[in-house]
Amino acid sequence: MRRTAAAVQLLGPVALVVAAALLGTLVSRSTETYFINALVNVAIVVALYLFIGNSGVLSFGHVSFVALGAWTAGVLSVPVSEKPAIMPHALVLGLPLMRLSGLAAGIATFAVLEITHNVLRYWETIGPGVTTFSAVPETTGLLQAGVAAVIAVVVAWAYQHSRFGRLLRATRDDPAAARAVGVSVYRQRLIAFVLSGALAGFAGGLYVHLLPVNTESLYLDLTFITLAMLVIGGTTSLWGAVVGALAVSGVDSFLAEAENGVHVPGGTLDFPAGTRIVVVGALMALVLILRPSGLTGGRELGLGFPRRARI
Amino acid sequence: MIAAVLGIDWRTLADAFALGSIYALMAIGIGLVFGVLRLVNFAYGQLVMAGAFALALASQWGWPVWAGILLCFAVVIVLSLLMDRIVFRPLREQSPAVMLVATFAVAFLLQSIALLWFGSLGKIATSLSFLQRPVTISGVDIRKITIVAMVVAACCLVALVLLLNKTNVGLHMRAAAMDFQTARLLGVRANRVIASAVLISGLLAAIVAVMLTVQTPLVTPDFALRDTIVVLAGVVVGGMNRLVSATLGGFAIGFASGLLGGALPTNQSQYLPSFVFAAVIVVLLIRPGGLFSRPGQAAVDRV
Amino acid sequence: MRHGAVAAVRGVSFALDRGEIVGLIGPNGAGKSSTLHAVMGLLRPVKGDIRLHGTSVVGRRPEDVARAGVALVPEGRRIYGELTVDENLRLGLAGRRARGDLDADLKRVYDLFPVVEEFRRRPAGALSGGQQQQLAIARALVADPDVLLLDEPSLGLAPLMVDIVFDALRAIRDRGLAVLLVEQRAQRTVALADRSHVMSNGTLRLTLGPEDAADTTTMVAAYFA
Repeated sequence: MRRTAAAVQLLGPVALVVAAALLGTLVSRSTETYFINALVNVAIVVALYLFIGNSGVLSFGHVSFVALGAWTAGVLSVPVSEKPAIMPHALVLGLPLMRLSGLAAGIATFAVLEITHNVLRYWETIGPGVTTFSAVPETTGLLQAGVAAVIAVVVAWAYQHSRFGRLLRATRDDPAAARAVGVSVYRQRLIAFVLSGALAGFAGGLYVHLLPVNTESLYLDLTFITLAMLVIGGTTSLWGAVVGALAVSGVDSFLAEAENGVHVPGGTLDFPAGTRIVVVGALMALVLILRPSGLTGGRELGLGFPRRARI
Repeated sequence: MIAAVLGIDWRTLADAFALGSIYALMAIGIGLVFGVLRLVNFAYGQLVMAGAFALALASQWGWPVWAGILLCFAVVIVLSLLMDRIVFRPLREQSPAVMLVATFAVAFLLQSIALLWFGSLGKIATSLSFLQRPVTISGVDIRKITIVAMVVAACCLVALVLLLNKTNVGLHMRAAAMDFQTARLLGVRANRVIASAVLISGLLAAIVAVMLTVQTPLVTPDFALRDTIVVLAGVVVGGMNRLVSATLGGFAIGFASGLLGGALPTNQSQYLPSFVFAAVIVVLLIRPGGLFSRPGQAAVDRV
Repeated sequence: MRHGAVAAVRGVSFALDRGEIVGLIGPNGAGKSSTLHAVMGLLRPVKGDIRLHGTSVVGRRPEDVARAGVALVPEGRRIYGELTVDENLRLGLAGRRARGDLDADLKRVYDLFPVVEEFRRRPAGALSGGQQQQLAIARALVADPDVLLLDEPSLGLAPLMVDIVFDALRAIRDRGLAVLLVEQRAQRTVALADRSHVMSNGTLRLTLGPEDAADTTTMVAAYFA
């Protein structure tokens, strides 16, 4: 029974990702980009989930790993598989930062984002500066993105069912009790942070091969939208992360099209530029107010009767 | 003097002091709301931005200066009360992290609405530009706005200290910041205290909007965004739990940024954010409760 | 009444009139504090009713219950240590309905608890535990309430201080207030109160009068029922 439940928790998100990828093969070439983008977003949001969802500590800093991954991949233009080079970065940053929680952690990770952005932007001997990576081959296709998203999901699932994942969630739900039975909150958070940073960097590597990116596009806006996806889906479950990423990507893509004018039954929709982020922002605020635990209620996909969240 | 040793002229020093004063007012605005709601208002900068757009529009319509300032105050205060009613109130029972993310969403929402409305090029507020002109005080040229900012900040501080210490509303706000539940059990009305804090915070945002608009007449949708991020960092570094330490933190980070920004050549000052935020991380690691907080006080999230 | 997922208090019913002290005693976890919290609107009862002057207060916010004339002296006193004694007292005025004759009320409170007047300008955190308890009761009284609820006011106090507090409660009753005293010191409470209900596992087991104060066997039996 428990095994079935665990399998459903893995297969549900994977099936959703695969379905999205398959749907992407059916549409036109230009629309396909949206699907690829959505799948890359799934990878980023699942990376975010792995840390935030399991530890309960907020991080505004993960996009800096995405940026680092994108930059490394962009410079090296190497096969996508070598991106876990971000792991040492996440470890170095995580070593000190994981002692913090609550608001202090939020601000400190934000500071990391600021520093990464600042250095990559101005220090041109090591960072890309303001130039755009337009020369990087756009090799991230539906297949690569889909496989990457599935990898991210599998990693997150394996982590959350591992001993480490359980320990970290114990520290999330009751730090004092977890400490009392000998769990090192610090060590468990660090493990998740490193793993999650590596996944984010990996996703960043995909990103740079998908779109021409620069330091500005991997900064506040991406931080906002990926956090929004996680929160809208439901912060405390993998299912929520995947659902949120795909749902928001869907809405976002539709609105992006609509900003250029889109034909719908009964006429043409033509929204002014900027509508996207207004709608996504409003959506996020609404979900937070009406359903603070997200669309999925922060629960994993289960069979049969709804139960209390198991994770 | 120290200033001479570092190669900083008096004008830079005065400007840095003025920036510190403005940031201190923003820190108070953020700290007051944090006190009663345990909510870090990320969207505070967008209140300032809205006020700045009000000023720019008023100046474009050819309104007199006082009318523009009035419009700015009206817009900012209405917006902050709306924010409290629509967003903060339903989220009061949530964890600080959820509320932080929510204000993050509101910040982006307001910024993108401004983008839709006014475009990314922004508008120019010219009606107050006379304050940019310098006056000469004992041989040093100092811009009028620098003096105005310092005087206004000092007046606000005095008014606020009087309000908090001498009035019932102030007493209720202080009590609510220390222990909200006991205050309610004594009959302190939660909604009224929170609304007062939000109102004062909005007033300060409007004042800051006027002064920042003089400093930077070009108002864009990301107006005051950078300032807010820096002030937030300063507030956390100073110590969120006490209004005094939060204010000091805001002032310190503004003063330091102004001083270093003025003293360093551009190819170095562009890394200023890195140094400032690196300092933020170091302080948070050493003293998670803040630099100016009392030792032994609970860390930031003590709910 | 439910506390979290567990029903903490069931079928508790009692009345409280002007000029009387009702005691509520029982072991830890019996549901005494939950009962007070329900009255103040901090907990919402799943079933049942709480009436003040015949009107239900269920579902009201704590501040509204306080402003309707119910004052709580919370467990652990909950004094604002960083504020002065005077400021603490001024906070009590937030729940005051009548605006008239504040000076007379203040004088009565000062007569009852002279330390509160003596140390007016000191930070309340500098007072001793017993003095803080007196301040907490004084703070509740300046609101001029009809009903005074006290949650273990003798907890952690020296015997002499307990005497002062209990004497004060007697004086407060004689002034015509209704006093509900939640206590662990069973014997003293039973002796002081007009009626004392023994509470255990969320229900009322037994009602005792002052004459039962010497009868320890009945009390012990009720505790372990």
